[in-house]
Amino acid sequence: MKAPISGSIETCSPPHERRDSPRSRAGLRSTFLAYYARQFGTLGGLFVLCVVLWSQTPYFLTADNLLNVAEQSALNAIIAVGLTFVIISGGIDLSVGSLVAFSGVVMASLLQRGLPMPVALLAGAATGFGCGLVNGLLITFGRLPPFIATLGMMSMARGGALLYTEGRPISGFAEGFRWISTSKLGFIPVPVLLMAAIYALAHFVLRRTRFGRYVFAIGGNEEAALLSGVPVRFHKTMVYGVGGLLSAIAAIVLTARLNSAQPIAGINYELDAIAATVIGGTSLMGGQGSVVGTLIGALIMGVLRNGLNLLGVSSFIQQVVIGAVIILAVMIDMAFKRPKR
Amino acid sequence: MKTPPLFLVLLGLALLAGCNRSDPSAAGAGATGKPTIAFVMKTLNNPFFIEMQKGAEEAAQKAGVNLLVQAADREVDVERQMQIIENLIQRKVSALCVTPSGSREIVPVIVKANQAGIPVLVIDTRADEKALAAAGGKIATFIGSDNYDGGKIAGAFLAEKLGGSGHVAVLEGIPGHETGDSRLRGFREALAKSPGMKIVASQPANWERDQGFNVFQNILQAHPEVNAVFACSDLMALGALEAIAAAGKTGKITVVSFDALPEARAAVKKGTMAGTVAQFPVKMGSMAVESAAKLLRGETIPPFTAVPIELVK
Repeated sequence: MKAPISGSIETCSPPHERRDSPRSRAGLRSTFLAYYARQFGTLGGLFVLCVVLWSQTPYFLTADNLLNVAEQSALNAIIAVGLTFVIISGGIDLSVGSLVAFSGVVMASLLQRGLPMPVALLAGAATGFGCGLVNGLLITFGRLPPFIATLGMMSMARGGALLYTEGRPISGFAEGFRWISTSKLGFIPVPVLLMAAIYALAHFVLRRTRFGRYVFAIGGNEEAALLSGVPVRFHKTMVYGVGGLLSAIAAIVLTARLNSAQPIAGINYELDAIAATVIGGTSLMGGQGSVVGTLIGALIMGVLRNGLNLLGVSSFIQQVVIGAVIILAVMIDMAFKRPKR
Repeated sequence: MKTPPLFLVLLGLALLAGCNRSDPSAAGAGATGKPTIAFVMKTLNNPFFIEMQKGAEEAAQKAGVNLLVQAADREVDVERQMQIIENLIQRKVSALCVTPSGSREIVPVIVKANQAGIPVLVIDTRADEKALAAAGGKIATFIGSDNYDGGKIAGAFLAEKLGGSGHVAVLEGIPGHETGDSRLRGFREALAKSPGMKIVASQPANWERDQGFNVFQNILQAHPEVNAVFACSDLMALGALEAIAAAGKTGKITVVSFDALPEARAAVKKGTMAGTVAQFPVKMGSMAVESAAKLLRGETIPPFTAVPIELVK
């Protein structure tokens, strides 16, 4: 299993990481091209999709609608950032959807009890982060496979949300809170700005900090990373914590958007986030990927859903189309890599 | 690099989707001159809403309007329903009929439709009136059954059927959901008139058939004395029927439910189900579209239209 992973890491890691490796200039350049071509491939897909929709319906390419799509994609995109970190580190997180619900209802109940907004938001964030850390600890110290640990958390957090609320949604919040989802700065909706800020930060962390490099190293070859002195357990645990934290941030946006926090919110969100991540070119094998790709992946899904609504395509066909796009995007991604071996 | 495939694939898919679309006017911006009425269902994998769609389509043809039916994959996905409506607002439909997935969660997007000047007709499930008033939202009308009355009819029927005493299990819909809550309220009120009727368990099965099966199986384990079931929808009741059959108690437990889906009617005929309160989804769908068309012609419509209910036994 390990050999092909490390093979693909060489072709697709970010170019700047290879700067210190003893390689020829030509090799460096082809690596650079391979990395960015992948991004452009996905971006090109998004672009073509937009052109097609523009030619099919006059309602697609309006400033209003594009902002609408960006706003709708923000939720999935924010959750998918955390998942991208997790997947690059070689793991998976199935609990993100349930954590959206759990941290959402905790925050909402505190808001309704009249606690100051920052306190409630922090408590929600801490709930998500804490549950994420538990995932991480179960995986690192408990030696559970990520799939199992997060599957367990998925069920526990969902049950926790239902218990906490007795199954009822908590709704009706002050304008000051709803502002997060209802207002615009200039002409850009706040959730879109939040998404942009999170992506800029995540991109920086993944590409320019030690934390990011370690995440890649752990996903590429965990044993090698450990032997090279990377604090593997700490970084893996933190990655899941970050995943939980981002679910909590998504919960804030969702709750403000619906003016309601539901214990059954976020069902299947993990699958949407995984889809955005793999469409964006992050490998489920770990060790390679990018948040920029994930953002494009989330936008592709958002644009597809929006476009299919605008065209009045039957809901059933929409599901088929989205499924097909996921499969094809990954197939193309794999075809891309094969000749390099 | 050499990745035209992704472009081509998306191009192909989009064109394919374009060919399959159900709304002929989408490309031509209403080239036919007919107004477009959007109908957003909770879901289309529940026969109730498929029936409603049928009624809506017939009425649309008669009224000479385009009809655009959309639905989320899952009945409880309030956020996805919100997205669909936002997209239809962008699509500049003339009027919007919606069966809310969440009574309160629907309110923000009703306000958005108001701002875009699109009249909203709420069908089947009420939008929460307090939340709507607080948000300053307006709806053109509500068209639906009186679920409270239906619950009362079901409760009275069950009490009569059991001769005034029994151990009742209740399968609820999604908690906090207006439709289910009203049915439950009516049912409990009717049951309170027969002191011998005791509700020994009342649990949500979230409108779903498989959950109806599982939840009722669990209730049977905890309360083997149960001899009557009230389910807030047929799908849950049909699930419970299977659990009853699996426990070998067919015929020993009286089942009453709501919706009168074809499968439930068949069960009533067969005798495995005692009765089901019929709503008329086809009528509901056609009334919705007719009212929307009236509204677009500038006629006034009443703020509430009750769709009749009846007990099938």
